[in-house]
Parts: sequence; C-alpha cells; structure tokens
Amino acid sequence: MRAYKPKDNVQAKAYYTDRFYVAPQVPKSAVETDEVFASDLEAIKAKFEVKDAYIQVEQMVIYINAHDIYGVLELMRDELQYTQLSEMSAIDWLAKDNTFEIFYQMLSMTKRKRIRVKYFIENGQAVDSVEKLFRSADWSEREMFDMFGIEANNHPFMKRILMPYDWQGNPLLKTYPLEGDEFAAWYEVDKIYGKEARDIIGPELRDTARVDRYDSERFSRLGFEVPKGTKITGDEEPHVESYQEESGVFMVTKLDKESSKVIDDPQR
Amino acid sequence: MAQHKVNYTQDGGLPIALTSVDKIVNWGRSNSLWAMTYGLACCGIEMMAAGASRYDFDRFGTIFRASPRQSDVMIVAGTLTKKHSEFIKRLYDQMTEPRWVISMGSCANTGGMFNTYATVQGVDRIIPVDLYLPGCAPRPETLQYGVMLLQKKIRANKAGNAQKAKRLM
Amino acid sequence: MAQVKNRLTPFFENITFDRDDNELVLNFGPQHPSAHGQLRLMLHLQQEQIVKAHPDIGYLHRGMEKMAENMIYNEFMPTTDRMDYIASSSNNYGFALAVEKLIGLEVPRRAKVIRMFLLEINRLMSHLFWLATTALDIGAMTVFLFAFREREYLMDIIEGYCGARLTHAAIRIGGVPLDIQDSFLGQLRVFLDKLPQNIKDYEDLLDSNRIWLMRMEEVGTISTEMALSWGCTGPMLRASGVAWDIRKEEPYELYDEVEFNVPFSDKGDNFARYRIYMEEMRESAKILYQCIEMYEKCEKDGQTELMAHAPKYISAPKLDIMTQNYSLMQHFVLVTQGMRPPVGEVYVATESPKGELGFYINSQGGPYPYRLKLRAPSFWHTGILTDLLPGHYIPDVVSIIGTTNIVFGEVDR
Ligand code: SF4
Repeated sequence: MRAYKPKDNVQAKAYYTDRFYVAPQVPKSAVETDEVFASDLEAIKAKFEVKDAYIQVEQMVIYINAHDIYGVLELMRDELQYTQLSEMSAIDWLAKDNTFEIFYQMLSMTKRKRIRVKYFIENGQAVDSVEKLFRSADWSEREMFDMFGIEANNHPFMKRILMPYDWQGNPLLKTYPLEGDEFAAWYEVDKIYGKEARDIIGPELRDTARVDRYDSERFSRLGFEVPKGTKITGDEEPHVESYQEESGVFMVTKLDKESSKVIDDPQR
Repeated sequence: MAQHKVNYTQDGGLPIALTSVDKIVNWGRSNSLWAMTYGLACCGIEMMAAGASRYDFDRFGTIFRASPRQSDVMIVAGTLTKKHSEFIKRLYDQMTEPRWVISMGSCANTGGMFNTYATVQGVDRIIPVDLYLPGCAPRPETLQYGVMLLQKKIRANKAGNAQKAKRLM
Repeated sequence: MAQVKNRLTPFFENITFDRDDNELVLNFGPQHPSAHGQLRLMLHLQQEQIVKAHPDIGYLHRGMEKMAENMIYNEFMPTTDRMDYIASSSNNYGFALAVEKLIGLEVPRRAKVIRMFLLEINRLMSHLFWLATTALDIGAMTVFLFAFREREYLMDIIEGYCGARLTHAAIRIGGVPLDIQDSFLGQLRVFLDKLPQNIKDYEDLLDSNRIWLMRMEEVGTISTEMALSWGCTGPMLRASGVAWDIRKEEPYELYDEVEFNVPFSDKGDNFARYRIYMEEMRESAKILYQCIEMYEKCEKDGQTELMAHAPKYISAPKLDIMTQNYSLMQHFVLVTQGMRPPVGEVYVATESPKGELGFYINSQGGPYPYRLKLRAPSFWHTGILTDLLPGHYIPDVVSIIGTTNIVFGEVDR
C-alpha cells in the first residue's frame, strides 16, 4: 500500500521524529519587563481590544481583532511614533484551523523598538488595507494577494505583482507544491507555442539527481564528448578540446604555450 | 593569463593573403561577435565583469549591445522565470541571422538550484542553445572560453549555408 | 532557420490606442541594460514628461520563500546568496543571525571579527558596483572601468577566503567555517591603503562634472515623509534626512565596539545619495582597519574558536567528528535530518548595503521553517518609483533607477 500523504500540506516533512521529542519554546517574557513596550501597550489597550501580548526576542508581539487593524496602525503611527511599516505578510494555517495569520512588522526609529501586530482571519475573508497609512503596504498587500489569495479592501490596485497576471494558483499556500502544479509546468510552452507543442517540447525534467551517461542529448562525458544525439556505445574516442583547429586559423596566430609568459600574481 | 607576441610578418610576409570566401566570412563573423546584454540574475554580474576592466571582452571583438537587432549572440546569463519566458522568445526572434545563443550558468541550462514553480527548467525549452556553460556562477574566464569555443563552432560551419534548424519545433 | 512559429501577438496589440489626449505609453524593460536587472516600467508620458509610472516586477521571482519551507536551515544558506547577489555575504549573515537569535546562540569572538570583515568587504563591493553601473548608465565609462578594477581586488580576497567570487555562502549558522587565509590581512591592507586615493579619483571625475551634476542634482527628490511611508531604509533613507543605520542603532556583531560615522543628508536627491555611497565607502574602510586590529588581538589572546558550541544544533569541529563517536552521530543527524530550532518566531533586521534586510522566521519545532519571509530593502525602493517618477523626464528615469540601487534578485526573491 502506498504511504498516505496529506493533501492539505504538501511541503517537505521531517521523515523521522522521535516519539518522545518535545520541541522547546523560544522564551517569552511579559510586556511589563520593558517600560517602553508597557506604555505602548497601555495606549493601544485604551482604545482597542488586545487579545494577547508578550515579548519574544526583544520585540513585542500583540494580537488584535482583524477589524481594528487600521485604527491600531493609525494610533501607532500618529501617537506612538511607529513611523515605518517594515514588512507585512501572512502565514498559512489552513490545515490546522482554516485561518490565515497576518502580521505587520512596525518600527519606531525614535524609540528603537519593533512591534509585531498580528491577527487571524478566516479563509476567504478580506483584510482592511492600510495603504492609506503606509504606502509600503501597497506592494506588500499585492504580494500577499498574489501569494496567498488574500484580498485587501480599499486597495487601489489589487492585482498580482510577482507572478504573471494570467497565473493560476497561489504559490505560498501549503497546498501548492514547490515544483508547481500542472498549470505551472506548461505555462511557458502553452503561452508561447500553444498546447500542441507540449508533445514536441516534452515535460520538464525536475529530477536534480538524474545522470544518464547514455543520453547524449542532455549529458556529456568530460573528455569523451560526442555530437548531440549520437548513440553512446561506451567505447568513444577520447576527445581533446582545443581552442584552435590543428590546421590553423585564417589570420590568427596559433597560441604557443611554450613561448608565452604566465602571470600568476593578479595584483601585480 | 598569458602573453604572446604576434608577428604579422612571419607567416605570410606581406599583407596579402589568399583565402576562400568561406574562411574570410567566418573569420569576420567569429571575430566580431556582438553579444546582447541579457543579464537576468547573478550570472549577469559575472557577464559584466567579463566585459569590464580586468577580463576585457573587447579583446575578442565582443562588444555588448543593448539591442537584439545589432547583436549576433545572445548570452542568457541568469535565471529565466516563467514570467520572463515570453520576452526571451520575442527578443530571440528579433535578432538577425546568423544568431547564436550561449546559456550561461546552471539556471539557464537546467533551472539549476531553483527547482521551483516559477523558473523555466532550462532556456532550451524556449529557444535553441548552442553552448552551455556550467557553473553557478561561471567565472568570467569560463564565459570567455565559451566564446572562444563558439568562434570555433562558427568557423566549422559553411558560411553560405543557412543555419540548420536546431532542436525545438 | 525559418522563423519559428509562436503564439505571441505583436506587443503593440496589447496596448489600446483609443485615447484622444496625447498621452503616450512607453514600455521600458524588462530587458533593458540600465534597468539594473529585470525591471519593467510602464510610463505614461505627456511629451517628455512622465505623468504616471507603473513598475512591474516579478521577472526574477524564483520562489525563494517557498524553497525555504522545503529546506532544512543549513540547506537554505546558499539560496540566500542569490538574493542580493552583489553582496552575498550580507544575506548569509542576515539569515544566520536570525536562526542564531531563534535558538539563542552566542558566536565566538573570532568568528564575529571574521564576519565583520566579510560584511564590510561586501559593502565595499556593493557600493563600488553601484558606482560603476550608475556611472555607466549616465555615460561615465571611465568610472565603470575604474570601479570594477577595485572590485576585482576585493573579489580576489573573498575568493581566497571562500573560493567563490560571487556566491560566497561564507557564513554558517553558529559561526564561520574557516579562518581567514594567511594573505588576507596583507592584501586587505594594501587595498585599504589605496582606497582613499581611488575614491578621490572617482570624485575628481564626477563631483564637478557638468553632466553628472545635471543628471544628479535636484533630480529624484524624496521627502522624509515619503521615504518613511514607503519603507525606505539604508542610503535611501539617510539621503532623505533620517540618520538611521541599524549598525549604529541596534548594533549586532561587534559594531558597538568600532568607531564609525553615519553620513546623512537632508537633500533627498540623487546627488545626496551618491555622496552617501561615497562616504560610506570611507566609513567601511575605517571599520575594516579596526577589524584588522581586533583580529590581531584575537590572535594574541589565543581565541581560536570559529563555531559556537551547541551540540543540539551545530556540528562539532571536523577533528571531533573524525575522532569521537558521539560527535559523529550528532553530525549525521544534523546533516540528514537538520537542526530543529525551538517553537517561536523571530524577526531580525540587519543593515545590508542596500538597506534593512530582515528575516522573519516562524518555526514550529520542525527541521523546516514553517514560514520564512524575506524582507528585502530593494522591494520598497522599487515601489517608490510609482510616486517618484511622475513629473520627471525620461532621461531622469535612468539616473533615478541607478541611485535607488535596486537588485532584482532581492526585489523578486
Ligand atoms: S546559475 Fe547561479 S549564479 Fe547564475 S543565475 Fe543561477 S543562481 Fe545565479
């Protein structure tokens, strides 16, 4: 019987995990241990609901409600001096509980602090665009749309950014295989030559470890090169590749290795 | 690096040479290969280095041209992605014959380390390739050696004949 | 060869011409020698002036984030080289630092010094390359040849260290694999002693050159608000009046022990950025001199460790692997299965030559990262072209793209 492979997460998995292995945790500390973060959190809590907050690896992480995001970021930008949105993207938790986790990485240059604002949305739900607050979100949200299919409300130009406009599928979903699906495999052939060319051009070769010394179309044996498509028998003549033909080249003097000087110090 | 003296008066003596049309045409073609800048990724940087001060591609008569219509050889240096694949075909079609293609680096040869949804697994799926240079990234010397081999290949052809259709359609 | 048939329609058929104003749509790229890679710009023009710009990226999207989800941590290291391929080691370093923060490792001092060498040499290489290509785009061929010559010296030094010219993979999680070669310090000193004169040569060629000034001054002005809002970092931000350098503000490695200045300007135009790149080269040279001293001090104090000691995550030194059974077993497990960092997430920003290079890693305790987001500075520096180009003229496009210093391996990942 073939081994069962889950369809909802087709990424690489550890092939062996000890039954008793318990993964350790990256330590979290309470927000109160850092004054700046504590006061920031107070300010946010005063207006919005904060579900969870802690400090991990010197940065504060707060969880809020999805519909509050515009307000929270506006507050952080205008009152708490978090003037830059460094990064935002999503994490795919569809296999676990059908949600996406969205994170916004904020930077305050005056306080030298970074906060990660996070929230969860259901599959199919859209996020509120913060493009009005931070122009950088314009492209990040497009990238998120491209990679996960999460749309942003009120975004001026919600189109794919990294993949072509006529692409199908969202590459960073866990259900999307690394090597692409059927559509991706034939994308360039279909687009340039049309479907009928598939037979002529042939499927992609994805096996990185494939070596076939009898295949002279794709492989050549060093020192025993033959023209493309020759049938390999195994007793090929050794082939010495030289730059110039034996008979000499018109108007070009033949290189004489003996009489040429080799310079081995490049920094001379 | 090697230095050697060229003594023009030695072989033929006077500046008169008898030769065949084939040879002189091929000599001209092979010694003024104008390459099209097709720096797609990291290999493109090595291609630039090959053209810059230390490696000096001009010695080979190879000058980088920005337009496909003025160039003889297309050096595909770097990863070809599926989004870009359409353009390489367009640009290849714009080049005048005879034209040659060098695929530089393992990405252009086979997709290289990027065994992913977004990369074309070898430019020879789209355009015919004459020369494959292995390496990630190949050194500028490799590219120069590749051009030398291409010159040899050009010399081996009959100048009058139309280029034979290579693989692919 | 007969023209091979294909299905592509001529390009102009993709554009509609049913406008009654005299706006012209100009396609720039994706294969354009001065687009620094594969940038495609759709420019709407009124005569020579740009009224709307629409950068189109993704022509070098190679799926690195997806690759990261399918690779063990050490396996991903060479892939980071291909992000900002002008300065590969700084990407290696950013990733290594993120994983080290995640598992809480302290790197031995000697390894730190070597990392500093690599980072600063990479910064110099990147800035020299920037100078070369930008000058070439603007027409200053001499500077291109000069800057590439200097870059080759650095390449030689790096090549002596790790064997590769472009894609170094010279930093490991937990330290560095090798000590520097014997000729390293000597070669570096020779280079550094020459550098001030070289920089002065470039400046003599450019600073008072009328064409250079006309293409640079008052062109591509980015205001502070715009730079902040677009997430600009690095020289782009410093040219717009914010003296923010992560090396200074959130020091990593030994940057808190070295003396250096953060050049900044409040002009925000191309020329300001050019000046900042030049000054940063001088600062890098200063840092490198101090690194040489630190290295010699390490040598004297007999600090020879290059990798952190953490048998759960990092393989033991080669000698131990060859002689001790337990180390060999550890090594075997770490290579075949990969290290398993603790559950948690981390975002670490480092100052790469282009700006803030951040790695966000979400680990679920497995040998593969659950999600890895690469925050590459160039992505936003390309985005800003949308707002920056309108109002400028076509020739300015080239000089603006030049000074933003974007690298497409990083923009598209
Ligand atoms: S072969 Fe290597 S160096 Fe060349 S483009 Fe591909 S990844 Fe970059």
